[in-house]
Amino acid sequence: MGDKYNMKNPSVKRILQEVKEMQSNPSDDFMSLPLEENIFEWQFAIRGPSDTEFEGGIYHGRIQLPSEYPFKPPSFMLLTPNGRFETQTKICLSISNHHPEHWQPSWSVRTALTALIAFMPTNPNGALGSLDYKKEERRVLAAKSREAAPKFGTAERQKLIDEIHEYMISKAPPVPQQSSEDASEQPPPAAIDAAAGEQAPETESPQDISTEIAEHEEQPLEQNDEVAAEEITEPEAPNVSRQVANSVPSASSSVHTVEPCQQQVMRVQKPADDRLFTWAAVGLTIAIMVLLLKKFMKANGHGAVFMDES
Amino acid sequence: MQNHDEIPVESESESTAFNVEYEAVDDWSNYKDSDVMQQQSAIFEQDAAKFPFVGDKEPLSSLEAEYKSGSPILLEKIKVLSEKYGAIRRTRGDGNCFFRSFMFSYLEHILESQDHAEVERVKANVEKCRKTLQDLGYADFTFEDFFSLFIEQLESVLQGNEDSISHDELVARSRDQCVSDYVVMFFRFVTSGEIKKRSEFFEPFILGLSNTTVEQFCKTSVEPMGEESDHVHITALCDALGVPIRVVYLDRSSCDKDGGVSVNHHDFVPTPADGATASTSETGPEPNPFIVLLYRPGHYDILYKK
Repeated sequence: MGDKYNMKNPSVKRILQEVKEMQSNPSDDFMSLPLEENIFEWQFAIRGPSDTEFEGGIYHGRIQLPSEYPFKPPSFMLLTPNGRFETQTKICLSISNHHPEHWQPSWSVRTALTALIAFMPTNPNGALGSLDYKKEERRVLAAKSREAAPKFGTAERQKLIDEIHEYMISKAPPVPQQSSEDASEQPPPAAIDAAAGEQAPETESPQDISTEIAEHEEQPLEQNDEVAAEEITEPEAPNVSRQVANSVPSASSSVHTVEPCQQQVMRVQKPADDRLFTWAAVGLTIAIMVLLLKKFMKANGHGAVFMDES
Repeated sequence: MQNHDEIPVESESESTAFNVEYEAVDDWSNYKDSDVMQQQSAIFEQDAAKFPFVGDKEPLSSLEAEYKSGSPILLEKIKVLSEKYGAIRRTRGDGNCFFRSFMFSYLEHILESQDHAEVERVKANVEKCRKTLQDLGYADFTFEDFFSLFIEQLESVLQGNEDSISHDELVARSRDQCVSDYVVMFFRFVTSGEIKKRSEFFEPFILGLSNTTVEQFCKTSVEPMGEESDHVHITALCDALGVPIRVVYLDRSSCDKDGGVSVNHHDFVPTPADGATASTSETGPEPNPFIVLLYRPGHYDILYKK
């Protein structure tokens, strides 16, 4: 491989050394190799860190080394959907090139891949190219990631991707079976979502929401209803409507993924469902009354109280 | 200079697959942080490319011309300087100026003095630094290129070998990014290793300078290229390689001595490995470092004695 490159170019020399080092000290956690036609272009796969929702997942991606490597950092891009990083988008890690001031030549592709694995279970905090999927969705993606390597690029690159995939499959233990305990972690945020989503019943089937909410006490639900109702009374505020819109798909998707465990819960808690509808009706009534009250106050010139806020 | 012009072009063609062309942006809502950073670094590179890494030797009068309409204290000080120093060689203000000045000054000294003993002594110290980095857990391949490139330069300035280089070639190499940046990085590794090895000694200085841990300081202020140097870096490099460095300060502080103006300098003198005292400018016999750097707040250049 070395003969094809200008060995006078110090970055080529360095990269070839890294390839050699990578091959002589293989890791079970990741595998990475450059394309034969261009050693500045690498393919990699990392194993989802164990004891996280990524366990068992095999995540492929590409690395691009700049011509100034190792003075400038490599760029990373994932190709396998994973629920933590967007695919086909440069990843924002402090070790990657979105913070070039932090990169240092003593780091390597190996260091960066280790960091990438460590970053998987961290909170994205809105970082560029990050996703904040729910654990269940990430687990589904982890299981799916093993089925086949992603299709990407030229035939030569695809061959490398497939090779890496095979190697990783042989090293990575399968996705652990999801326990019911994990499923019960989910409902609290979903309940709030559902409560907000309920205010837009035309886009949401009440059956799905009710199964989620049924598991919870009525007390907080009532408060949620009131809060939601009050927010709804300010139709000018665009953030409220967006919040409701956002919460609808997330509520429905989380319900969807937890479905297997849910069937049972539904049967046991049938009576609670009826009660829930009562509460929902009460909530809606309150909402309508608040709306009417606001209209009434506006008509009487007391609107200033509300107008100040909008 | 030629090299600096070539490299950005090369990198553009290689990385277009990933990069958004920032020139073509007309929709600011899609203009991401990464684009801003890319543009910023492009501006920085353009700006830096106006001046070579290492300039030509200029008479000290060029420094005077620079401050013609400036502070009278500075002019006064330059006059004092010109009694001892005859010339200046400027370096690019890219945050690596201390290391770059040190590199050129040191290699030029070896080229002119042909001091084989000094080369052997420094090589032994470089080997110690290599060991230090290994002990600190650095993977060999991450630093060995930088080490071997420095040794190569060191050997090539000694005449009589087939690889020997002229003074002109030394200047050319110091302006070639592939050589120059690698040697700068070599010094950064050496400095970082020395600081980490003697972290108890450097800790209070680092705390005073940046209020961070030794580890963090090396990570953010020593090892990344373009991070400026302070007395901590100079002390560490001077100790690690065993090379004394004189830093002459040219700033507006007036240091009246019997009514006249004097120019401060500080000699960084290597301490023996177990030495507890830092470099000093007052006690002991007057050292005579062959590396003299002119410090103006934020920048180092090379000074030449008369």
